[in-house]
Order: sequence, then structure tokens, then C-alpha cells
Amino acid sequence: MLDRIITHAEVLRIVADLAPEHRIVGPVLRGGQYFYEILTDLSGLDLTFSYCVYGPRAFLFPPTETLFQFSRQNGRFESTLSIERVPTAFVGVHPCDINAIRLLDRVFSKDHRDEHYLSRRECAFIIGVDCAKECTVGVFCADMHGNVAKDGFDLMLFPLEQGSGPNDMRYGLVFGSKRGEVRLQKGSIGAIPKAADERAMEEYQRRKEAAFPHRLKTRLEELPSLLNRSYDSLLWEATARRCYSCGSCNMACPTCYCFNIFDETDMTLTRGERKREWDGCQLEKFAEVAGPHNFRPKAASRLRHRIFRKAKWVKDQSGIAGCVGCARCDRACTAKINSVEIYNQLAEEI
Amino acid sequence: MKPKIAIFSLTSCEGCSLAILELEDHLLDILGAVEIVNFREGMTDRDWDIDIAFVDGAVSTPQDAKEIQHIREKSRVLVAIGACACLGGVNTLKNYQSESDYRRCVYGDMANYFPTTRAKPLSAIVKVDYELPGCPMVKEEFLEFVKCMLMGKVFRLPDSPVCVECKKRGNPCLYDQGIFCLGPVTRGGCSAICPTFGSKCEGCRGLISREGLAAAGVNIRETYNASVKDVMDDLRLYGAYQEGDLP
Repeated sequence: MLDRIITHAEVLRIVADLAPEHRIVGPVLRGGQYFYEILTDLSGLDLTFSYCVYGPRAFLFPPTETLFQFSRQNGRFESTLSIERVPTAFVGVHPCDINAIRLLDRVFSKDHRDEHYLSRRECAFIIGVDCAKECTVGVFCADMHGNVAKDGFDLMLFPLEQGSGPNDMRYGLVFGSKRGEVRLQKGSIGAIPKAADERAMEEYQRRKEAAFPHRLKTRLEELPSLLNRSYDSLLWEATARRCYSCGSCNMACPTCYCFNIFDETDMTLTRGERKREWDGCQLEKFAEVAGPHNFRPKAASRLRHRIFRKAKWVKDQSGIAGCVGCARCDRACTAKINSVEIYNQLAEEI
Repeated sequence: MKPKIAIFSLTSCEGCSLAILELEDHLLDILGAVEIVNFREGMTDRDWDIDIAFVDGAVSTPQDAKEIQHIREKSRVLVAIGACACLGGVNTLKNYQSESDYRRCVYGDMANYFPTTRAKPLSAIVKVDYELPGCPMVKEEFLEFVKCMLMGKVFRLPDSPVCVECKKRGNPCLYDQGIFCLGPVTRGGCSAICPTFGSKCEGCRGLISREGLAAAGVNIRETYNASVKDVMDDLRLYGAYQEGDLP
């Protein structure tokens, strides 16, 4: 069910309206590739972009951030919580990345509320844009159910018909939140969809389903049991011969949420900041503990760990897979290790 | 009692010693916390009662070898700073040429007056307690090291490769352009400064692990259409890898 029909120009009006109180993040073309960046000029905004090299995660969960400031004076220890509240409006988030944000939402609100993430997330406004076809060869989002976003956005745009260029696009729009709805009412933006538009939406969804190839030989529901049977496969060792343990897959992944904590002190040695930074399970020292004992000292055990987390453990815990199938890990891999190949080889082996 | 610090240079451009003077915003704070007793680039006084000696440069002459042994004897803690002191650095390029060639090239008809040896890192001659690698060393890392020493906190070098910082910065990957960058095998901590400005990583902070190096050997032959010789040349530029061919 569509809520509105909206033109590219009207999307820009919504974004311009969000701009005074939000930093705007959207796709920017740089050297032939798109990156999510802070937009200062909306005139070149192209929502028909293929894919962004990295997901939007860095704007909600920065690579490095301060958790609190501390000081020691006259024998007293004091600390001040550091919460960064930067309202951010994302424009042009694909379903895979919306699903990735939903996963981060769950991780950072379950059991222990992560105020640092949630303070940014709560004031984030997300305008999604649906993909009519796969963005690049190698994605397996249809297999991981990552190519459809049911919630996790404020507004979602469906490119019902292709215009002659990004500026001619006309979208079917779906509200994902009350504040999304309010934005359109405020500016009386968009047209009420007609019966023909609803038919176009149905047609779009049929077309979309046919346009996404399935690359995995195993259905998402069966991946956990496939992996269960593959723990001792020789494939891990064979594939990991090529693995540098460089962590590129982790850094490029929109669903990775591991971090490391460290302190930074100033020269007086009485004041400082406790910070956190992205960490990654593929890095050699990730699983090293006191002793020092390393639970996963070999690249093969780390590679297996990542695949198990993405397709089994996170799903076992929460019902949602830890992977959205965007294939950023595969594209970022400096050794061209391919997770689709891993799953399919395991399926063939067993 | 402020710790007594000394800074020495062996065969090098002395850029790492100068990097300390470039910590302009922090220099007065550092001088408030430590006492510098010996620093040719920065002062004329000389004292040999040393708590922490920082040494840049490689051991490349018999004189260097004598000097580093003397520094070691006089210092409680010895810290190698920069690629030359930690890995041998660009000085080790001469190790792959004949001695008469490079001596003639550098000293011309005075070649006979300047005895030189194979270039080596400090650790080949004396026990080194800490290494702050890089060409030049990362001055912020030097500052962090000094703070750790003052606090009695364990100092650890970053233990992830350059790729981590490169991707944290949101850089396009040079591998997408078909460039064999040494980022995946090189110790990070440099904020990926070279790839950030479009140059491939040349490994000046040394190799991160033997496992990563072995993977490079496999990938050159099986994953990429790269030449073992070119990659070896890159790995040898700063002396990151010196033992024969890639595994």
C-alpha cells in the first residue's frame, strides 16, 4: 500500500526542510564510486545510484568516539558522560543498509542500552530508496532477505517507473513512522496514489522479485544447519591460506558492531578520555585475552568465526541473520575471498 | 625526579629526531615532564646518565655499531624510533648491491675513506626495549609512548594492519584500482596516511604478521596477476622483509 506519489524535486524539498536541524548524509560520487558523505549541496543528488562502497554505519556508530571524560584532582576521580547528539537525516539508504541499521538497533538496545549509539539513532531520520534490481554482481541480498525493508525507515521511496534521469524520477512513497508522515503533511508534499499507482507498485514488486538472482544454493533458513555440519570442514583452512587477516571485511560490513575500548590521557596525566573504536574478529589479536591466550590464533578459525556469526549465531540468538547480503565484505576483501563461494562450496561438500 | 631522556641519530636523515621538535604544541608539556640530557638536533649540552634513549637511524657503519653499544650501556631503556632503527630502513637497499658499487656511488673517489657494513636495525646489534616504527615515526605515537612511561602503563604498538585505519577513514581501496598496496600486511598506527592521499602503502611500519606475509605469497601467485619481484622490491624498500623470497 502506497501512501503518496512523489517526485525527485519533492524529495529534495523534504530534505531541504530537514536540513536546518539535521546534517544530511547521502550518496556522493567520487572517483567512479559512491560513498555516503555529508551533503552540503543537494543539486547533484542522484537517488538512482548503484551502491555505496561503505554502509552508513559510521554516522551512527563512528569508527572512534569518546564515551566519557575523566579527571583526577586532589585524590578525587570524576567522570562526565560524553553523549553526542547530532541529528542526522539519511537520504538514499538501500534496503540492505536499512536492515543493517535494524540489526544494530537491536544489538545496541538489547540487555544493555548503549546510550552513545541510541542517542544518535533516536534523532536520525531515514529516507530509504528501494532497489529495482541488484546493484552489482555478487550481492546475495535476495538470499539473505536483505533486499526488502519492512521497517526501520521514516520514509521509503519505490522507483515505480524509470525517468530519463535522476531528476525525472517519480516514486511511490511509504510512511515508516509518524514523524515521516508529519514531514509530508507539513509541506503538503506528494500526491494521493491512484488505483493505477497501486497497480504499478504491485507490478514493481513482481518485477523486482524476478530481477534479483539467487546466488546461494542454500536457503537462509537452512544456513545454520549447513554450518553446524561444516565446523570441521577443510575449506576453512584452504580458504584462509589467502586471508591477510587485514580486517577489511569487518570494517566494510554494515552489521559489524564489535569495538575495543582504550583511554587517552593528556600530558598532565590527570585528565583524559575513555574512547572506543571499531574492532574486527578477523584481526589476529581480536580474541587474545590475558595470559596471553588467543582463542582464535589462526586465520582459518577467524574466518570460520565470521561466517558462523553472520549466518548462524546472530540468527540463533535473535532470529535475524547477522548478514544482509550486501557483499561489501567480498568486494572489500584484499584477497578476493568470497562468502557466496564459501556457502556454496560447503553446500556441495555436504 | 624527572626521567632523563636522550635522543641519538645513527645513519639516517634524522627526520625522526626532528619529528620530536615538530611536536610544537606539546613540546613545553614534554619538557615539563622529562629532562632532555642529550640531543644533538636540539641542544649543545651532553650528559650520559640516561633513563630512556631514543635512537633513529640504522647501523650502517662500524662507527654506528660502536655508538649503539655505548648508548645501550648508558641507558636504562632503549627505544628504536623510525623505520631505519626498527627495520634498517631505506639503508638496507644497499644490502642488495655490491659494496664497491654503492660506495663509489655515494662517496665517489673518497670511497676508500668511509668503511661501511650491511645496514641493520638496532636490534641486530643490541637489545631494544621498544620500537616506534614508521618513516618518519608517528610523532603522536612518540607522545603516547612518553605518557605511558610516565604513568607506568604498558605501551603497545597498534596490532592491526593499515587496512583497518584506511577503511575507518572511508577511503576507496587501492585494490579496486588494481594496485598491490602493502596495507594488508603492514602494521597500522599511521592513520593510513599514504593511501588516504592516493599512494599505496609501502610498508614503512614493518610487517604485522608472518601469517599475513604467507598470504601475500599465495595471493601474488594465485589471486592477482602481480610480480613476485615487484612486491619483493616494495617489501624491501623499508626493509620490512629481508629473508630471500616470499613464502
